[in-house]
Amino acid sequence: MSEQSKDVCDPNSAAEASNSEVHSILGVPGGLSLPASQAATLAGPESPPLGPTDAPLASPPPQAPSEEGDPKALQQAAEEGRAHQAPSAAQPGPAPPAPAQLVQKAHELMWYVLVKDQKRMIIWFPDMVKDVIGSYKKWCRSILRRTSLILARVFGLHLRLTSLHTMEFSLVKALEPEELDRVALSNRMPMTGLLLMILSLIYVKGRGARESAVWNVLRILGLRPWKKHSTFGDVRKLITEEFVQQNYLKYQRVPHVEPPEYEFFWGSRASREITKMQIMEFLARVFKKDPQAWPSRYREALEEARALREADPTAHCPRSSVSED
Amino acid sequence: MEEGRAERRRRTEAPSHPQGGTRRAGVMTDVHRRFLQLLMTHGVLEEWDVRRLQKHCYRVHDRTATVEELEDFINNINSVLESLYIEIKKGATEDDGRPIYALVNLATTSVSKMASDFAENELDLFRKALELIIDSETGFASSTNILNLVDQLKGKKMRKKEAEQVLQKFVQNKWLIEKEGEFTLHSRAILEMEQYIRETYPDAVKICNICHSLLIQGQSCETCGIRMHLPCTAKYFQSSPEPRCPHCNDYWPHEIPEVFDPEKEREAGTSRANKRSLRSRQH
Repeated sequence: MSEQSKDVCDPNSAAEASNSEVHSILGVPGGLSLPASQAATLAGPESPPLGPTDAPLASPPPQAPSEEGDPKALQQAAEEGRAHQAPSAAQPGPAPPAPAQLVQKAHELMWYVLVKDQKRMIIWFPDMVKDVIGSYKKWCRSILRRTSLILARVFGLHLRLTSLHTMEFSLVKALEPEELDRVALSNRMPMTGLLLMILSLIYVKGRGARESAVWNVLRILGLRPWKKHSTFGDVRKLITEEFVQQNYLKYQRVPHVEPPEYEFFWGSRASREITKMQIMEFLARVFKKDPQAWPSRYREALEEARALREADPTAHCPRSSVSED
Repeated sequence: MEEGRAERRRRTEAPSHPQGGTRRAGVMTDVHRRFLQLLMTHGVLEEWDVRRLQKHCYRVHDRTATVEELEDFINNINSVLESLYIEIKKGATEDDGRPIYALVNLATTSVSKMASDFAENELDLFRKALELIIDSETGFASSTNILNLVDQLKGKKMRKKEAEQVLQKFVQNKWLIEKEGEFTLHSRAILEMEQYIRETYPDAVKICNICHSLLIQGQSCETCGIRMHLPCTAKYFQSSPEPRCPHCNDYWPHEIPEVFDPEKEREAGTSRANKRSLRSRQH
């Protein structure tokens, strides 16, 4: 993301542009938002003013994303807003393409993002530019903005810049998460069941789960590290590589142990997407027990649920339909 | 979960009633949005799964509403998706006629859905297999024939052993089906790539005489050569004591399969499940 290159469209300003546009149309925080830490990264090494100096589409100053409760984040965002508003000489560049072409690009980008998410692959900004936006790089802000809008309106998904540092986006559900949707069709989503088994094991143990312990559990399902499975294929590769790549699990060497042993931890994505209560419900279902059969874990899950509710007093309890106001 | 706050606030403020900011023909509510999200997540679903999914979405967002008839529900969503060049497409498995659904991109001009998953040489292997399948009489291409083309692949050189594994990857990802060492297209691939296939192989492509969709496996008239899907012949000849070719009226020489009956299917599925499943089914 260099300041020098006039043609570079950086995800940050695209993020802000989307954010403010969504603000005005939907009147709610939505579209893209900057996580606090990433905002700091931006203000740091990159010298202000930020954003490309060519601004073919004037974007209104980004409103401080109020969903960031963090006051530091608000301050950062405000600073960026001011810097962004710094006078930018309009560069005489090529004429903007017909609106229809930008719309088409937005549609292509929408599909691209949906498919990447379906495959649980990383949505990487440079890939987006290379694979979809291509020569329309200069207008990627408006393209991204439109894509975010469509995704929000039609799919109820937020296209969110989750890491400015690695320029990763992810699709986040904007709808009330209820229980894990996948659990609703869980007999058709064996991957999720497998993942949930491992995550619950780790959770119940309260610390990392050794690989040997994980295989003991998987043996109950008839899975062995050396045997290829009809649905999962190479199970070992799946859990030690694919799930790790998707950030659902962490697979680390146990320190100071010879011969080397490895253990599993929850990945950052699992921590984001799955609540402890969901794990307790999964356990209850699988073992046909009350979740309170794991008393300390259940207490933890309750506390987490309470913390989440307190963090957002307007939150509904799951299963309530539509708004209460 | 940090996203939770944003999501929940959006839920309160963005109205989920019909006129919430859409300029399009159809009506998108959170029920439809969740349905779309989940359909996209699963890639391709059989009809009974789709019905369950629909009920789940109503349960989450709008308990009091009557569940709309599936066909209308989907048409409603499709009218909104139309301007985005995507749609929820309904197809059927070629061997036994089970209805399946997937969200497909109509603007596809290449095997774009697969493009992000596979390397250049792997994609090319798929294309070669695809060509063999389309050209074949039975809709199946033998493993041997596919592997013999390994030297012609674009990109990095691939050995036959590697290619075998790539083919298995295709099977796992539901692009191909394997039967006794031969490969054909998975119904998901047919559903998603029909447009691409028809545009890319306009001469070699076979079409079903009844439903006019792409045909990979099916039966053909030995006199005039027209072809029909197995489930299409089942429906067409359902009440005919003496099946005759719709085109040339000659005697239809093949065994007519049974029409797919979702009720029978569910009974069979339930009794199997009851024997081994631990948890009760939700209906």
